[in-house]
Amino acid sequence: MSDAVTTRRSRRQSRGPYGRLGSALNELDDRVGVAKGGRSFLDKIFPDHWSFMLGEIALYSFVVVLVTGVFLTLYYVPSQAIVTYHGSYLPLDGTSMTEAYASTVNLSFAVRAGLLMRQMHHWSADIFIGAIVVHMARVFFTGAFRKPRELNWTIGVTLLTLAIVNGFLGYSLPDDLVSGTGIRIAYSIILSVPLVGTYLAFFIFGGNFPGTAVIPRFFILHVLIVPALIVGLVGAHLFLLVRQKHTQFPGEGRTERNVVGSPMFPVFMAKTTGFMLIVAGVTALLGAFAQINPIWQFGPYEAARISYAVQPDWYMAFLDGALRIFPSWSFHSFGYTIPFEVTIPAVVFPGLLFGLAYAWPAIERRVTHDNALHNLLDRPSSRPKRTAAGVAVLAMLSMLFIASSTDVIANFFHVSLNTVLWTMRILVLVSPFVAYPIGYFIAKEIHATRGGGRRKTVNVVQRTASGEYVATPAPAYGDDVASELAPTPVPTFITPPEAVPPTDPGTRTVDR
Amino acid sequence: MKRVGAYVAAGLAALAPVVAFAGTAHAQTFSFTPYQTSRFDAGTPNSSVVVRNHHGVIISYGDSAIMYHAPSSTLDALGQALFLQNCASCHGDQANGIPANGTPGAYPNLIGLGPATIDFWIESGRMPAVDTAAVEAPRRPPRLTHDQALAIAAWVNSLDPSYPYIPSVNLKGANVADGAALFALNCAACHTIEGDGDALARGTYAPSLRNIPATQVAEAIRTGPANMPRFTGNLSDYQVRDIVKYVTTEIQHPRNPGGFGLGGLGPVAEGFVGLLLGVGLLALVGFWVGERQ
Repeated sequence: MSDAVTTRRSRRQSRGPYGRLGSALNELDDRVGVAKGGRSFLDKIFPDHWSFMLGEIALYSFVVVLVTGVFLTLYYVPSQAIVTYHGSYLPLDGTSMTEAYASTVNLSFAVRAGLLMRQMHHWSADIFIGAIVVHMARVFFTGAFRKPRELNWTIGVTLLTLAIVNGFLGYSLPDDLVSGTGIRIAYSIILSVPLVGTYLAFFIFGGNFPGTAVIPRFFILHVLIVPALIVGLVGAHLFLLVRQKHTQFPGEGRTERNVVGSPMFPVFMAKTTGFMLIVAGVTALLGAFAQINPIWQFGPYEAARISYAVQPDWYMAFLDGALRIFPSWSFHSFGYTIPFEVTIPAVVFPGLLFGLAYAWPAIERRVTHDNALHNLLDRPSSRPKRTAAGVAVLAMLSMLFIASSTDVIANFFHVSLNTVLWTMRILVLVSPFVAYPIGYFIAKEIHATRGGGRRKTVNVVQRTASGEYVATPAPAYGDDVASELAPTPVPTFITPPEAVPPTDPGTRTVDR
Repeated sequence: MKRVGAYVAAGLAALAPVVAFAGTAHAQTFSFTPYQTSRFDAGTPNSSVVVRNHHGVIISYGDSAIMYHAPSSTLDALGQALFLQNCASCHGDQANGIPANGTPGAYPNLIGLGPATIDFWIESGRMPAVDTAAVEAPRRPPRLTHDQALAIAAWVNSLDPSYPYIPSVNLKGANVADGAALFALNCAACHTIEGDGDALARGTYAPSLRNIPATQVAEAIRTGPANMPRFTGNLSDYQVRDIVKYVTTEIQHPRNPGGFGLGGLGPVAEGFVGLLLGVGLLALVGFWVGERQ
């Protein structure tokens, strides 16, 4: 018997036990069915190991890049039309420059928080790519790329490539003296591609260097096309991660068939939100206190000008290093020129390097004949050959990275530039062959040692009343047994109480 | 006959590269000693102001941007004494690069280099040299005073009066924006756009411009010490003044509105900060937040 009289209490009761929000979600669920998927998503288990946070640094610095980048597009003018600067930065007053450069100087000095945003954008781009590389190293050395995750490894390598390309495009946009030199080098690299180089270069630059089309084109690539690809691939990367569930390190209660860790809600959500804010905070601190890319000192780009001691951003440094140290070999015949001194270090070498990265899961499977599904990670020491191969590649890349600052090293340590050049040539060739056996034997030693790679526990020696000495091992470190966390009660609206499995403190186990 | 003349002309034209090559080959055999300063006559000053003494000798020239003054000839005697004490063991007692007991031709001939050259090398502390075998004489705290340097310059100049005289730059009215553009065009290729200097081939280097007084910047531009080209015809006194203004203000006192300047090393320092402080710090935070086992 319902009558037309509604009271506050009756309305409240009609909304159910979860109030306004609950009834709103119920209404939504009635229409699009969010409960089923949302429930399993809130139940998604994240392993707690710290090395799983490295990819999150990349994800959240990408968020910072996007947010600050949107701010910058409001003030940046992607045009190579020549204007005369009459802004607040006096050392450039009356100088003629492109609109791209003038607008970048203006957004640095005449827009409130503009310089902070620009510096945060640049720092977070540097951190983004750095975190991708560190995350990739973690995935590589623990064998997380093995079946069934080869596809996600491929997406990851593509993301790294796109991030580097977009970093370079963004670095070029201010059209200052240093970045203009970078575009000049990129143009020469494209020219050096055999047979199609000139056509390719003219296609990309809309004619000869520098032209007036390159900045608008780089802009649309930098703010629309490449970021759209990155966002899409990040989505695919995370979708596969949820679909395939996380890998985990072997340990007590951890098998190939389960995942041990914290649920998405509430533990991981709180942790990861905090982490996102910390990433944004560190980037903001760097942006506020550490000056990056002071383009106003460099002045506008003009083809006749050049500055010495110019390096690209760190992620392009291995290419710059390879270009610097390669001998000046070239091929001139049949009316053609192939500049090997550019083609080999800047086209062939990165092609081989990224080709190797893409092919690595297939290469490893061919060698090991291991076709099983792997959800438990390797410790790097238990796969000495893979670890050594990774160390060898990283050693070579580090040497190329250092080779990109030959002039700075020579000047800083007061040695001859030629000596530094030859030293780096030798080190780049020798370092992988030195690093491989070192990595191999260290990994083998750690693997063969009982308790290798873990912290030792101390022995406590006590003297008894009768004068006898007794040595007893101290209990293991709290971190090593992971017992310092109090058990987290699982909210009943996620999992019915009777279904809560007995778990380690602070963690839960779900079947795959 | 016309045709024969054409053949002769063509033959001569064909010989021209050979002659030119022989000329360059001859030029290349000329050996530079380590401290050699590029040497050619700067010519008679073609300036709006020329001051002569009662003998008709030019003692000052220049314009409203830079005045060049010859050191006073009353210092000649003192200069000779100082030269014999400090310089003659290498440059010879006639300043012609032929020491009394040493290898002739191993050291630079100072005759005709102009007082600005002598003043620059002494006042920048490069001379008297500490290590005469070094590829490049490094900048040091000067071992002789300003007056002593002027005296030595005066005596060397008295042997064969020559230009450039010692510049005195009037920075009033200098245009720092023009200076920045000229610096990027003429100087940044070696000294870097931030003025920190950098290594050149085989142990030589372009020095940092961070602590160089205005007079020495102008002297270096006009005299071309060591590897540096001598900028005479292509830069007017007004342009040199603009460059000096830019170097002594923006280069030597950068504003760094973005925070710490990171040593002006550009992407090398930025990469280390981004990777170690950015990624490294965040990885440590992850280590703190996550589980360690």
